[in-house]
Amino acid sequence: MILYTVPIISQLETVMKHVLNWFHYNAGFTWAWSIVAVTVVVRMLLVPLTIKQIHSMQSLQKHAPQMKEIQKKYKHDKQKQNEELMKFYRENKINPAASCLPMLLQLPVFVALYYTLKNYNFPPGSDLSWLHFIHDISAGTTAQWGGYVLLVVYVASQMASTLFMAATTDKTQRVLFMLMPLVFVFIIARFPAGLVLYWVTTNLWTVGQGLITRRLVQKAPAPTVEKRSSRTPPSDDGSSGNGAQPETPAPKPAPSASQRPRQVRRKKKRTSRR
Amino acid sequence: MNAVFRMPSKLGIGLVWAYRLTLGALFPTTCKYHPSCSEYAVQALRRHGLVRGSFLAGWRLLRCNPWSHGGFDPVR
Repeated sequence: MILYTVPIISQLETVMKHVLNWFHYNAGFTWAWSIVAVTVVVRMLLVPLTIKQIHSMQSLQKHAPQMKEIQKKYKHDKQKQNEELMKFYRENKINPAASCLPMLLQLPVFVALYYTLKNYNFPPGSDLSWLHFIHDISAGTTAQWGGYVLLVVYVASQMASTLFMAATTDKTQRVLFMLMPLVFVFIIARFPAGLVLYWVTTNLWTVGQGLITRRLVQKAPAPTVEKRSSRTPPSDDGSSGNGAQPETPAPKPAPSASQRPRQVRRKKKRTSRR
Repeated sequence: MNAVFRMPSKLGIGLVWAYRLTLGALFPTTCKYHPSCSEYAVQALRRHGLVRGSFLAGWRLLRCNPWSHGGFDPVR
């Protein structure tokens, strides 16, 4: 492909080869499991970003009623509705969960794996099968019967991960995203089976992460939300944090006393740094 | 003559659309900014040409991380 002339891509490929080799020869995985391992490592590196996203989800939940009102108000003008929502985010210093960078960070991995599977001469006689139903991860997905199974799993996992990842509230957009894998499966079918394996793994990770996130957000919203509120919304804590600090412990001494000083300390650190 | 000067940015806009139709569909995240990063890129390319437009779009992508606040952020 023309893209191959771009020097970064060949470098990415070299790095990916080294990483796969390490997992195969040093960690003792089969080639297929090495791909799974690479995927898991990449997603683990992205976990800090996910934790940040959990915090944003909590702040979004906190302001959900007001956001719904805005959506109702500008029901017929999607453009305006979006603009107003974004303004609301900014005014209340809410951090929307979705962002482009974590997604883009996964792109190089995908490209590197694509070219590696295409060009790498695996040593002769090496085991390229996976779980007995994929015979060759470097061969085309549709060239083997197991590939079709993998494609079905891909579609299912992609749809499931869309449920968790798509931060849009727009229903038509959601449906569109949900149907996307059905279109995409025809393109992905021409890729090497190992690439579909990567895709399935990363989707399943997303689903697992989504399930855990949901549980965390639902079960323990109180402590973490308070943590965030000390940083973000200016209306509630911002006023009490700066000017009215000595007043707050007086009326409510007993239950929240253990939590308040922590917030105050954080505030002081921040302001002194700035 | 004007059309010739606009060619490079057209190329950039074409690339953005290629991304939108292929990989953008694979990663179904919606952007925290308005307009979204790809829309911003198209507008920036149209208004400022390939070099400055690409720079602006790249800077926007870097800003679109979990530590930023997002919001209404049009091309200036």
